Amino acid sequence: MRNVEFILNGKAVSLETSLSRRLLDVLREDFGLTGTKEGCGEGECGACVVFLDGELVNSCLVPMNSVIGKEVQTIEGLAQTKRYRIIEDAFVMAGAVQCGFCTPGMVMATEYLVRRYKHPTNEEIREGLSGNICRCTGYQTILEAVKRVFEEVEDL
Amino acid sequence: MIENIRPDSLEELLTYLDQGDYYVFAGGTDLMIRKRQWQGAERRFDKAIIYLSHLACLRGIIETETHYEIMACTTQNEVAQSAILPEYIKAPIAQMATPSIRNLATIGGNVVNDASVGDSIPVFFALDAEVVLRSVHGVRRLPIEHFIQGKYHTALQHNEILEKICIPKINYDGFFYRKTGLRKASILSKLSVYVLFKVGESSMEDIRVVVGAVNDVPIRSREAELQLLMNGDVASLVAAYKNRMAASDDKRSTKVYREEIACRLIDYYLREVM
Repeated sequence: MRNVEFILNGKAVSLETSLSRRLLDVLREDFGLTGTKEGCGEGECGACVVFLDGELVNSCLVPMNSVIGKEVQTIEGLAQTKRYRIIEDAFVMAGAVQCGFCTPGMVMATEYLVRRYKHPTNEEIREGLSGNICRCTGYQTILEAVKRVFEEVEDL
Repeated sequence: MIENIRPDSLEELLTYLDQGDYYVFAGGTDLMIRKRQWQGAERRFDKAIIYLSHLACLRGIIETETHYEIMACTTQNEVAQSAILPEYIKAPIAQMATPSIRNLATIGGNVVNDASVGDSIPVFFALDAEVVLRSVHGVRRLPIEHFIQGKYHTALQHNEILEKICIPKINYDGFFYRKTGLRKASILSKLSVYVLFKVGESSMEDIRVVVGAVNDVPIRSREAELQLLMNGDVASLVAAYKNRMAASDDKRSTKVYREEIACRLIDYYLREVM
């Protein structure tokens, strides 16, 4: 066990934990941030993605050792931003949510796309979402939602 | 309780490795899955873990006059998005896994893990890369083809780490890379084909052909490449590679599919450029 300090959604936090424990478990169990979902548990589905020092990562594969001194942003943290509102509106307007389990991961992947590209091609959008699986298979509406985001997001 | 060690320096890391037996933990995208447990439970590690990806000296890409040097804990996305590296290195790495996995997975992990489906290894075979291995006792430098010895089996000693991968700079006109799998992203390759070529004044000056994920280690025949440069006979090269294929049927694919498609891709790419 070791004291691990990091920044979580803009606030300094610390906890006693094992360095091999998954960030996903710490977020859900220790901090109650259940917007980050566990789907496959092996990095395939993208339901658990968070930002670690600004890079999108699968929190089911991140040991707490990799979090020490870093900044973590979850969907709850992103939800406090103006851009989240645009992404949320786009997902609602495009009907991009069915069961909703993949949606936090899809929203985080969309945010990652917005941080990387100003005007992504269809191929770049597909690649950006390639690590996120929707078992309702609503991909077409999700793609439409992401395109809407880029139509709206110019000013942010 | 399994011991977790987070060394403060490379020297401390190497000293630990010299004195004990550890899981050497870099990006974790393979180990965290291999040791998976039920939701919320600790991963099922059965011996101590030593972490190394937080050591800044093991990250980064350096360009020298003659080589590109990729430090072992550089992530796959850092390689794929590098402003230093040429496209013929970046493009195949950019097709590995998914964006969020590439932000964690290290290039050294892919090499040291040495799965037959490690997609970076065929690229390093084609480029005559060398690996630099370091222990408290010194440094070894090996050609990648000597380092990779079989499925999940490398020349790495228990007290060594892979420190960096050194890739000679070459002047190439083009490359082809294609891998096949059940879907485009986040899938283990059924097979991959990587071809690099340089066109001279009047004829092909250099050509390199590597097939990945068919055998336990990538297939490259320098003899067949040389013959092709001399006689331009694509069919002979394809036959030479076919002779070296020893694929098997498994959950990813079948022997017949792997070998047939690999041969067709080599044939197609070479006829495009010869």
